[in-house]
Amino acid sequence: MGLRPLILALVVSAACRGHDAAPAMGHEARVFAGGVTPPAGSPPQVSGNPFRGDRQSAAEGERTFGVMNCDGCHGGGAVGWVGPSLRDGRWRYGGSDGEIFQSIYYGQPHGMPAYGGLLPAGAIWKLVTYLQSLEPPANVPTQSWK
Amino acid sequence: MTRMAVLTLLAVLPAGGAAQRGDWPMPAKDYAATRYSDLSEITGANAGRLRPVWSFSTGVLGGHEGQPLVVEHTMYVVTPYPNVLYAFDLTREGYPLKWKYRPAVDPNATGIACCDAINRGAFYAEGKIVYNLLDGHTVAVAAATGQELWKTRIADLSQGETTPVAPLVVKHRVIVGASGGEFGIHGWLKGLDLETGRIVWTAYNVGPDSEVLAKPRIFKPFYDRGAELGLTSWPADVWKNGGAPVWGWMSYDPDLDLLYYGTGNPAPYNPEQRAGDNKWTASVLARRPEDGTLVWAYQFTPHDSWDYDAASEMILADLVVGGRPRKVLVHFDKNGFAYTMDRATGEVLVAQPFVDVNWAKRVDVATGRPVVDSTKLTGASRGNVKHVCPTLEGGKSPASPAAYSPRTGLFYLATNNMCMDYQATRATRIAGTPFIGANTPYHAGRGGYLGAFIAWDAGVGKKVWQTTEPFPVWSGAVVTAGDVVFYGTLDGWFKAADARTGKVLWRFKVGSGVVGNPITFTGADGKQYVRSDDPADVRPPADFMPDIARHTSQGGIVWVFAL
Repeated sequence: MGLRPLILALVVSAACRGHDAAPAMGHEARVFAGGVTPPAGSPPQVSGNPFRGDRQSAAEGERTFGVMNCDGCHGGGAVGWVGPSLRDGRWRYGGSDGEIFQSIYYGQPHGMPAYGGLLPAGAIWKLVTYLQSLEPPANVPTQSWK
Repeated sequence: MTRMAVLTLLAVLPAGGAAQRGDWPMPAKDYAATRYSDLSEITGANAGRLRPVWSFSTGVLGGHEGQPLVVEHTMYVVTPYPNVLYAFDLTREGYPLKWKYRPAVDPNATGIACCDAINRGAFYAEGKIVYNLLDGHTVAVAAATGQELWKTRIADLSQGETTPVAPLVVKHRVIVGASGGEFGIHGWLKGLDLETGRIVWTAYNVGPDSEVLAKPRIFKPFYDRGAELGLTSWPADVWKNGGAPVWGWMSYDPDLDLLYYGTGNPAPYNPEQRAGDNKWTASVLARRPEDGTLVWAYQFTPHDSWDYDAASEMILADLVVGGRPRKVLVHFDKNGFAYTMDRATGEVLVAQPFVDVNWAKRVDVATGRPVVDSTKLTGASRGNVKHVCPTLEGGKSPASPAAYSPRTGLFYLATNNMCMDYQATRATRIAGTPFIGANTPYHAGRGGYLGAFIAWDAGVGKKVWQTTEPFPVWSGAVVTAGDVVFYGTLDGWFKAADARTGKVLWRFKVGSGVVGNPITFTGADGKQYVRSDDPADVRPPADFMPDIARHTSQGGIVWVFAL
């Protein structure tokens, strides 16, 4: 709770940088979770995760990971299923805080839905926090490196 | 759900044999879905001399869960997404490519297909190769040239519908369905016009009679009475996202003019969100192909609490049951029971477990209902229900179709020997995202092995022989008039076995786990060939078989074997 004002501040700052990030999203059509498109205009891009390393936020992110059906594709514990593993240290669309945020917010090709129309920025940052808290497995399948 | 793939082919040609006889024009070889070939060059005496004669990488890694077609010395192979169609000239050395059809397929489909971006194959009819693209389109391609003749949008990706199923063509109707039992779709079957691709009829699997195409005096389920069963067996409006996808195999009886197919699971997995029987999920439906009219239906698993899709094939055979010759339909359900049914009426004649089953004590053939063990019922309020057999992979996977030999009178199938814990949770329907609500880890069943290949006598409901395998067996089967049956394993062995005894006669290690369906055909030289695909996507290291990654990885190769 105490972090909320900080998030708002970051979102505002992101609005100023958003135009740089938008073209990088590519032009392939996305799926929109719940059929809701992310708000037009300023992508809430920020330079860093305001909750990084916060265990409470990671736990809230884990709950969201189940409630929003992320586990239905990425598997329980984000170990990968139809969707790729999110804990193997390999990020197809970039692994920086802001890049993971944008993948959730805008979606990605190959069926990753855009959640920016359903989830507030704070909930997405907690998802990012959860994913960053996961330990990579000892044995990584070959195909995850393609 | 869940399955990945590999394909294998065996070809054998009887010298001078008619081209037609040695062809493989539809997914299961014939309308009865037998996967039986009357080719007999390969026998128990010579199968040990089989050798690979050709292989081809499709360029796609992932589950090749279908099977090629062979028509007039051309072999047609459909890949998983991006659903490339290859045509190979079997009359020339090295089987060079005649043409390739490369459709544009929406890549978003790969994230909406529940269980790998697979395809179950094509159908040849009247000079056309007809198949489904994963993103909800059916296409017809000229068999001679590879030219696209028509392309019809049949499904809506944004609602979680994808289309890996193989079509069945009956006369001038192309019958198709959609996957999405994990996305809360409103499952359906459609009939298209073969010449134009126009959608002629749509029949939903759940919902009001007017949408299910259940008409008074025509629709006569053997065990159920009353109207609006697809509504009254659901809470209000829940049926609209109730699942009942069509992702398995279809068959057709020309004498009865009935088309048979099974429906998948109800959505979500958490059964407490959908009180009632949830008809017609986890069911077999018999329809008229011309207009989709529903003639009868039977639900294998009422109020399915375990993701027991009934998508497995319905094999049509003439058997002696209880001393009487009967026209039957035989179905090996994910729920672990093998059903022998009267295919004109939907009456259950025999229902016996073909693997270890503990969610039900038996099936009462008088009422048609399973006698459920209430301690194995699942639901969000029931916590983690331990040790349910079989798993949601099924006693047999619907993706691994069985074969039937009229010579031996036996059915041949790949099975899983696994049980699961089932923790249901409340699921929220969000369009475009999964709608599941369960965590279901697996463990090995009795004996410690994970799979087996078995022969089954459906007249009495008894296993005749069994070959155990260390891993689940996820390939289809083909059986021949040489009394040889072929199948492949997840650790990459393609095997020939004696159809009467199960004795393994020959095996060959292919590059990946076998999850496709072998076929056999006559080559241009008159010899019998057998074909197999070897791309498995088992996503190692799966927690219930951590060792699989030591034996296999993803592949995408088509193999042909011959003497």
